[in-house]
Amino acid sequence: MNVQLESPPETAILELPSETVKLAVKNLNFFYGQKQALFDVNVGFAANAVTALIGPSGCGKSTLLRTLNRIYSLYPGQKATGQVLLDGEDVLGSRVDVASLRARVGMVFQKPTPFPMSIFDNVAYGVRLYEKLSKADLAARVEDSLRRAALWDEVKDKLRESGLSLSGGQQQRLCVARGIAVRPEVLLLDEPASALDPISTARLEETIAELKRDYTIVIVTHNMGQAARLSDHTGFMYLGKLVEFGETEQVFTNPVTTRARDYITGRFG
Amino acid sequence: MEHTIKAIDTELAGLGHDVSAMGDLAVAQVRASVDVFTAHDLTAAAKVVRGDDALDLQDAEIEKRAVRFIALRQPVADDLRRTIAAMKIAMQLERCGDLAKNIGKRVGRMTKPAAAAQADPIGDLGRLVTERLAAVVEAYRTDDAQGAYDVWLKDTDIDERHEVTLREIVSCMASDPESVGDCTHLLFIAKNLERIGDHATNIAELVHYQITGHELADRPKL
Repeated sequence: MNVQLESPPETAILELPSETVKLAVKNLNFFYGQKQALFDVNVGFAANAVTALIGPSGCGKSTLLRTLNRIYSLYPGQKATGQVLLDGEDVLGSRVDVASLRARVGMVFQKPTPFPMSIFDNVAYGVRLYEKLSKADLAARVEDSLRRAALWDEVKDKLRESGLSLSGGQQQRLCVARGIAVRPEVLLLDEPASALDPISTARLEETIAELKRDYTIVIVTHNMGQAARLSDHTGFMYLGKLVEFGETEQVFTNPVTTRARDYITGRFG
Repeated sequence: MEHTIKAIDTELAGLGHDVSAMGDLAVAQVRASVDVFTAHDLTAAAKVVRGDDALDLQDAEIEKRAVRFIALRQPVADDLRRTIAAMKIAMQLERCGDLAKNIGKRVGRMTKPAAAAQADPIGDLGRLVTERLAAVVEAYRTDDAQGAYDVWLKDTDIDERHEVTLREIVSCMASDPESVGDCTHLLFIAKNLERIGDHATNIAELVHYQITGHELADRPKL
């Protein structure tokens, strides 16, 4: 018998069982004006799991993230074709209410973006837009969100102080609290720890690990160790294409494609 | 393709080189242990016993290098498999060395050379095992998954020969109670050789895994 040493495939995309998929991307293409940034992406994001998107700068991972809650539509000339199915409903469809979509699909950006208002109001802001809660219920919601974001103990005595007074790591967790206060179903994180020190990063990662019990989480990261520590599934993108998608353990111990292997082991160009 | 950080290539190559060199020394020790048994050469047997210290040192050094590489470089994928395999192969080689050393000790304790009826099958077993270990060390050195797989597949013939050898020794003990002391040493020598064969098979699995990322399942059994 011979050992099988087949040449590796160009792409390897694990198809998840459809009942586990919260958010399904089908035949997605994306254009910045004339320039195509995503090419026929097909991937599923599992419920109650963390999916990490990795790849070199400009590979399309942030673009893919931006299609998932249609935040790209704030910018003229940007266009997506294909489907992004949230519980089977196409969020790219013209009849979708974008504001309520973004309440269902929350987003945290690379740089902390606290509003210039108190810590309490930062978290309560979105809730007040979508729901009419009593004062006590609103306070309870704010506390619950800050606890889930692992920030409560640090801010409980200064809720009336400005969100801008917090450290970078605290501001980022404040943004996570704000994102989850409106009870979204999906949380998108675009390099949320890139500006944080190791302790804040660890706290944020612990927060994300806790949050996946209730949410579907998609995180874009340049930090390979973070993807390995945090995620259940990993997608590697290159030049606008999804090259490899699989269980994180498999991708990091035995990647199928040469490109993914070269990237995660640091053999990249 | 080379790593962007060139030191990673240098360090991985250094680790591989160390394991290959340790493999060569382990093969030499096993071969020498078989030779001293066959020739009943007590001086050379003492040399085999002393020679094991070098393998212990190499094992410790490889482990230290691998741990440092993991801590400082955080390898993944094939880099990680290579690092872990280096550490585990060194451990297997170190055990081969212990078994060869034990053969050397037992040769020194025997009252007289073994009779041909027992010495010949043990010598054959020893040469087969040495050849197998040398083949897997070569497969490691040349990154040869097929070579490792071939070694893995063939472990049963070592087991067969071990069985034959045992029968010879036991019948000798039955017919000549005087020989029981020496024959007990022979039993252990044969068992040691069989276990070196098992370590060669373990190493074959590790070489195959480090290259392909797949584990060999269901080892052939006698």
